[in-house]
Amino acid sequence: MLDEALRLEDIYLSTNELSGTMFSVPRAVSYFENIKASESNEDRPLIAGANLTLKLGETICIGGPSGKGKSAILRMIAGLARPLKGHIYYFGEYIPAERLTALEVANRQVGYVLQNAALISNLRVIDNIALPLRYHRMGTDEEILKKVNMAMDLMRVRNFAKMFPHQLSVGMQKRVAIARSWAMDPKLLLMDEPTAGLDNYNRRNLLPLIDNMRTMFKTSIIIVTHDLMIAKELDCNLVFLHEKKLTAPHSFDYWLRSDNEISKDQFRDLQAVTNVF
Amino acid sequence: MTPIGRMFHSLGIFILKTTIGQQIALFFRTVASLFASNHNFKNDSRNIILQTYFTGAEIFLPLFVVAMLFGTVTIIEVITLMNKMGLADIVGDLMVVVIIREMGPILTAFLIAGRTGSSLTTYIGSMVINSEVDALATMGINPIRYLVMPSVIGGTIATIVMNILFGASAIGAGFLVTKGIIFITGNAPNLQITWGYLSSEIIKALTIQDFVFAIVKPLVFGIIITTNACYQALNIKRDIRQVPKATSRSVITSFISIVLADVTLSLFYFIGYMKNLSTLI
Repeated sequence: MLDEALRLEDIYLSTNELSGTMFSVPRAVSYFENIKASESNEDRPLIAGANLTLKLGETICIGGPSGKGKSAILRMIAGLARPLKGHIYYFGEYIPAERLTALEVANRQVGYVLQNAALISNLRVIDNIALPLRYHRMGTDEEILKKVNMAMDLMRVRNFAKMFPHQLSVGMQKRVAIARSWAMDPKLLLMDEPTAGLDNYNRRNLLPLIDNMRTMFKTSIIIVTHDLMIAKELDCNLVFLHEKKLTAPHSFDYWLRSDNEISKDQFRDLQAVTNVF
Repeated sequence: MTPIGRMFHSLGIFILKTTIGQQIALFFRTVASLFASNHNFKNDSRNIILQTYFTGAEIFLPLFVVAMLFGTVTIIEVITLMNKMGLADIVGDLMVVVIIREMGPILTAFLIAGRTGSSLTTYIGSMVINSEVDALATMGINPIRYLVMPSVIGGTIATIVMNILFGASAIGAGFLVTKGIIFITGNAPNLQITWGYLSSEIIKALTIQDFVFAIVKPLVFGIIITTNACYQALNIKRDIRQVPKATSRSVITSFISIVLADVTLSLFYFIGYMKNLSTLI
């Protein structure tokens, strides 16, 4: 039994590849063998030679300064952007680049919470959450309703079930999006800034939910965040995107106490506070 | 890969990189998505009926007005001109050629391209901009099945129905308006026209091919309009200014493709004329 949920091997990603995979220009078989490094000036490399291994049931946080391609990594893992070069293994299975689309990835039970929630704007909250369940016919109508109600209760959006997304605040839309992903029972969940736009109360409610998911359902989770305290509260490893590469995973305390460049950038305030005490 | 296989592979990639190749691929994917394993007949039929209603019922009034006035003009001009030239016996042929065979399908398709094609492009294009299409794909919902397939099927059904209604209202309402003009102006156009004369002339001129093409033409046009609209929408770059650009591109390319397809389909009739050409000369 393989115990890895995701493995990235020597990934190269550039800005030109971010526009989507479904209708972008098709790639020939054995594309990678003939690849030339992109020479055009408009193409800015985002990631060069990143490696990452995620064990089943493990949670990992990806941090780093904004604008360096953290979300791009998640989009790539979700299949919305194609790597220029490199291999991605989902649960030990390699999907070649010409077949790497979001649908293929979603078939392997990978959930993705987008940064801007991206709820379907002409459906009510309850229909938004039920949409994938109905599409995939995961159970009868009563079972789906039960599951949707459970998801809404968990994210505390039950009172807004009959509202349209534009009537909700950004934070509430985010909670609905998380509920929608949760209802699909993902084995690997990718979350893009789950706590941005949430107040302290809901943030503190979200964290135990993430904790429950990984302990009860053995969900592997990747969180892209600027809110580094999540890593401490969830007791998970932190990875930083530094110089177009992903660093090795280390705990929050390691980063806090270490003396390298990343720590100085990201933990300066916290280090100052801890040095005082 | 063998050399021959590689040749076919590179040919396929070359075709798929062109716009027309991608549109054809999108159409075939749409057809293929009908037979996907997890089909949900109830949802699909509801979406298709909604789309048919959206495309068809809401465009009926402008289409009816256009058909009525177009029919009036055609009836008055054809009958006046043919009587003047002493060719009164081909009035029916001319009406069939103009209204049922050529202009009816084209005008219907233009109206539907201008209204339904453009609204489809803005609808799906806005979803692309708001990354709702991305969200659908990451939930395992095939956007082609969820968005494109109902549009293509519903739009095509509506185009066929609207084409038949266009022909019927052009002749029926056109005749009534002609009668009204004769009544109001005291027969200024100097026309002797009765419903019995007009209908018997038209029925005499109708052939089985006209009935077949009354279905085939709007079928082809409907597929072209909806596939093109969805293709333009799904290829929008992440820039809100691209939505109006894609919309106008969708309408213009639909117009051009409709006329091209119409000429291609009319070759079927031209071949018949060509055979008779020697006898005419």
